[in-house]
Amino acid sequence: MALIEVRNLVKKFDDKDVLKGINLELHEGQSKVVMGASGCGKSTLLRCLNLLIQPTSGEIIFKGEDITRSGVDIRKVREDIGFVFQHFALYRHLTVEDNVTLGLRKLKKMKTKEAVEKALYELERVDMVDHRDKYPAQLSGGQKQRVAIVRALAMDPAVLFLDEPTSALDPKMSREVVTVINKLFLDNITMLCVTHDPFLAKYISDSIVFMDEGIVVAEDIAERLFYDHEDPRIREFFMSVIDHR
Amino acid sequence: MAAFLNDLIAYWPQILAGLKNTALLMVIMSATGFFGGIAAFYLSLSKSRAARTWTERYISFFIGTPLLVHLFLMYYGLPELGIHLSAFTVSVIGFTLNVSAYNARYLMTAYHGLEKTELEAARAQGFTHTEIFRFIILPQAIRLSVPSLTNQIIQNLKDTSVAFLIQYHDFFAQMQEIASTNFQFFKAYMTAGGVYLALVSIIVLAARKLERHISLPGFQT
Repeated sequence: MALIEVRNLVKKFDDKDVLKGINLELHEGQSKVVMGASGCGKSTLLRCLNLLIQPTSGEIIFKGEDITRSGVDIRKVREDIGFVFQHFALYRHLTVEDNVTLGLRKLKKMKTKEAVEKALYELERVDMVDHRDKYPAQLSGGQKQRVAIVRALAMDPAVLFLDEPTSALDPKMSREVVTVINKLFLDNITMLCVTHDPFLAKYISDSIVFMDEGIVVAEDIAERLFYDHEDPRIREFFMSVIDHR
Repeated sequence: MAAFLNDLIAYWPQILAGLKNTALLMVIMSATGFFGGIAAFYLSLSKSRAARTWTERYISFFIGTPLLVHLFLMYYGLPELGIHLSAFTVSVIGFTLNVSAYNARYLMTAYHGLEKTELEAARAQGFTHTEIFRFIILPQAIRLSVPSLTNQIIQNLKDTSVAFLIQYHDFFAQMQEIASTNFQFFKAYMTAGGVYLALVSIIVLAARKLERHISLPGFQT
């Protein structure tokens, strides 16, 4: 059984159809990347999957339960879905350590000592433990994103969503973050990542989902999709993003 | 001048009592106004449209009408309806409603300056609306509003003199009594002004210390 199964997901904003019937499966331990041109609905899809945006219709089966149905405790579902944002979204009044422990203490109800131990263990994994007392404003973009990843991972989520995790970073910082996410991929962390970055996509995915105008056009491994696909739209898209790099 | 100083010494117990009353009213209204402001700020962000609308009406009313009108309405107007309140009670209620409205507006202004992605991140983590307010919005909004909130405390101190007009025996009421006894109005009011200035200076020093104490990297207040 898939960890997440999306059936015919539709999202309309006023009269504009952003998602036009998405079908997608993500299994435990699997890592998928969603790519496509700007405005194709990638980020909307990710936000619909944990109901940050309410879908218009369709089903989202998470751990066997349709979370779009009324009566589902969406907060519990969200605790089980880590979310990493393009612009880091760290709580800027809290230190690195407190950013990580806040959810552990207030949502997981861990004792402070236990939460701090967990936070330090996770920060160590991304080489950020020495920055534990710093505030977000004192960190580089790459460091902020590593903390954001740790904040999500510390909650031990069933799946990690990443929304363009490298697009706000310069190439050097972007590589730092790709290395961290690649490590998660090698550790078989279940991930669904939206990105424009073919380098990131190649190194963190089992397969790539290509979206165009609100629908899934193709799903395949990076090599076939990047260099050898029969659909001209896909060839054109990947030629442009790979050339751009 | 010597006669005026003698009067000051002679009236010292009353002046001291007036100063105590002024300080008491300022401390109470600053505290109740602070928490009232937080309550109104919370309701301004409520999911309920009715709560948001009524809170906005409350804030607009109290910011848009003079404090003296509220005090007179309660002290001189309510007795016509059979409700009699002491000058102190009217002052506390009137000032609290007024100061809370201003504080709520300062906090709302700070809220508009927050990074909304942080709030989205908190929702994505599983925090409730109230938890997001408590752990993310309020600590940041208060930090960003510290200059406005401390200026409001200074304003509160100065505004206590208005309570004199509803028979509250504050410091200014005592100085007025000295002035009308010895007819040395200029000296009495200059002395009153000097005392208010000294008290305001103490608050300003404390406020700057507080600002330094709670300042964080990345927070320009």
